[in-house]
Amino acid sequence: MDSSCAQQRPCAHKSASVLANDQLAERTWRLRLHGPEVAALAQPGQFFMVRIAGRTDPLLGRPFALYDTVLDGQGGLVGLEIVHLVVGKMTTLLSGLKPGDSVEIWGPLGMRFPAVPDHVARVTLVAGGIGQTPFLAYSRELLGGRGFAGKSAQKVVDKVELVYGARRESLLAGLDAFVQAGACVLPCTEDGSLGLKGRVTDGLDTLEKPEWIVACGPEPMLYAVARWARERGVPCQVSLETPMACGLGICFSCVVKVASSEQASGWDYQRVCIDGPTFDAANLIDLQK
Amino acid sequence: MIPPTALSTKLGRLHLPNPVLVASGTFGYAREMAGLVDFKKLGGIVPKTVTLNPRPGNPPPRTAETTSGLLNAIGLDNDGLEYFLQNHLPWLASTEVACPIVLNIAAKSADEFPRMAARVKGLPGIAALELNLSCPNVAGGIDFATKPDLCRAVVASARDACPDLPLLAKLTPNVTNIVEIAQGAADGGCDAVSLVNTFLGIAIDWRRKKPILGNGMGGLSGPAIKPLALRCVWQVARAVNIPIVGIGGIATIDDVMEFMVAGASAVQMGTVSFYDPTAATRVIDQLPEALATLGVSSVAQAIGLVSKTWHPAI
Ligand SMILES: Cc1cc2nc3c(=O)[nH]c(=O)nc-3n(C[C@H](O)[C@H](O)[C@H](O)COP(=O)(O)OP(=O)(O)OC[C@H]3O[C@@H](n4cnc5c(N)ncnc54)[C@H](O)[C@@H]3O)c2cc1C
Ligand SMILES: Cc1cc2nc3c(=O)[nH]c(=O)nc-3n(C[C@H](O)[C@H](O)[C@H](O)COP(=O)(O)O)c2cc1C
Ligand code: FES
Repeated sequence: MDSSCAQQRPCAHKSASVLANDQLAERTWRLRLHGPEVAALAQPGQFFMVRIAGRTDPLLGRPFALYDTVLDGQGGLVGLEIVHLVVGKMTTLLSGLKPGDSVEIWGPLGMRFPAVPDHVARVTLVAGGIGQTPFLAYSRELLGGRGFAGKSAQKVVDKVELVYGARRESLLAGLDAFVQAGACVLPCTEDGSLGLKGRVTDGLDTLEKPEWIVACGPEPMLYAVARWARERGVPCQVSLETPMACGLGICFSCVVKVASSEQASGWDYQRVCIDGPTFDAANLIDLQK
Repeated sequence: MIPPTALSTKLGRLHLPNPVLVASGTFGYAREMAGLVDFKKLGGIVPKTVTLNPRPGNPPPRTAETTSGLLNAIGLDNDGLEYFLQNHLPWLASTEVACPIVLNIAAKSADEFPRMAARVKGLPGIAALELNLSCPNVAGGIDFATKPDLCRAVVASARDACPDLPLLAKLTPNVTNIVEIAQGAADGGCDAVSLVNTFLGIAIDWRRKKPILGNGMGGLSGPAIKPLALRCVWQVARAVNIPIVGIGGIATIDDVMEFMVAGASAVQMGTVSFYDPTAATRVIDQLPEALATLGVSSVAQAIGLVSKTWHPAI
């Protein structure tokens, strides 16, 4: 229930026109939106609410991570991209959008990925399925390929590894973009159709011991990665995809139990949309099991 | 041209610069919206319900979208009255916000309402109290507004404990006859009734064989409930002599006008802030033109224009 107020962060609400809408993989689409103002504020780890104006079904906006910013030939900001998996009402509609159509978008929302400690030279990103989306912009930032929110590009670490799991090859999206950004990609598929046959934790087993893990994906995967990291004493951040009604911090629907010494119970509900979406796995009560 | 002063409205002793407020539980503590919404334009802000003691709230999932609507079972998740007074009120009362603040409170037992009302007596920055007599997500929370006598007694006790603050009674629509409950609240001495809170509902995931909300049932809000909420306003406006704050599915200027001509002296916009964060300030900008279209020159002239005069054709 922690209602301590999020400090005011810059955020804009715009109508954005669709520049392109491309299918990247099975049921997976990349939506490129015009919106220099919104894109100019966004940092890796943050997200946007997206909605189609003028209809009440679906009613609410849906949260999507910043996938990438879009630059013109001179390096000027044009807009941003989101990548989504078609799972329900809104994502079905989004996949059908054509260039020139428009959506409502507000953001950036939430906190960016936390700073990587100075001594860390190698960051290990762990993605489960569509949980890969926040990691392209982050890889670019960490490796000095691109700056965000007005900051110039600056190399933060020497190496970024992406352990990217999916059920099968056809669901892996945008591998070439990660490679082009300079990340070392280790695909893991449950059926062995590409890369390692197995889960992301099997992929982690094959690496040199990670220094700093950031994970995003379905809950069971986050449990497994958090446990893997805890057993080996590796710091682990997890980015959550809790259902959200507002994304703004005003509905209190997106809560998660976070360790708190102030509460007799030892935990307090925090809003994922403004206190997250990324948390230290060690502070998430449900991930300690 | 309709001057800005013509937008002002009165709820008993409460004077508001315009009739459009944002509803409790759907605008957080307002600070979350700084930078997106120009608070100074609003007719008022009703922060999320505050209870005497902290409450963790219900287990997630706490919301589920339904056709043109939203089910919620937040469970009055809040840090308690003292925390609110220390950490939220000073900012809400500051010049940064500069619009009327209506403190919304809920109680587990009838005696908590006067206790809380007495605690806030005389505090600067609170324009009015709204008693949440109707939260469907808390055991006991709904009972106060399901019986006219109980409703009257609770309202009277809060009024006695804090006689100087304008008092609103927010009612549940989940009753057989909302008119008699509103009459009870009026008899208890409230300045206005807020109509309505959410409609009890449920969403079920039949494949997983369980309700979607962590709490099982929840309260329905959003465009789906507008005709139901409008009907409540209509019935009470035609039968009870008490100002009404209309609430339920209001999202556009047309919705605002419908509630006003049905008898609402003000409205609160709730769920719409989730999917259209600047809706409230936008409809305020559109209000003068809509009043002109109606053929009146002030908000006061629009209130009850239809409900107070209409009779079914014989
Ligand atoms: C911070 C954040 C970032 C995200 N980033 C991305 C991203 O980059 N790409 C991406 O593809 N997705 C992302 N997501 C997830 C994305 O928001 C959802 O997939 C999207 O909201 C689905 O909308 P929909 O209308 O298509 O599906 P819906 O029609 O809303 O339903 C989706 C599925 O969830 C089920 N469901 C709905 N509500 C509930 C509930 N309360 N409890 C249990 N089940 C429920 C439905 O039955 C259905 O199977 C992100 C989520 C968050 C919180
Ligand atoms: C997520 C959510 C939380 C709410 N919390 C409260 C609350 O704390 N106190 C209260 O009096 N009403 C609460 N309400 C009810 C609203 O204030 C309003 O009465 C109701 O949602 C109908 O209006 P709407 O359709 O415009 O949302 C809540 C509604 C929603 C959707
Ligand atoms: S989604 Fe509404 S508070 Fe987080």
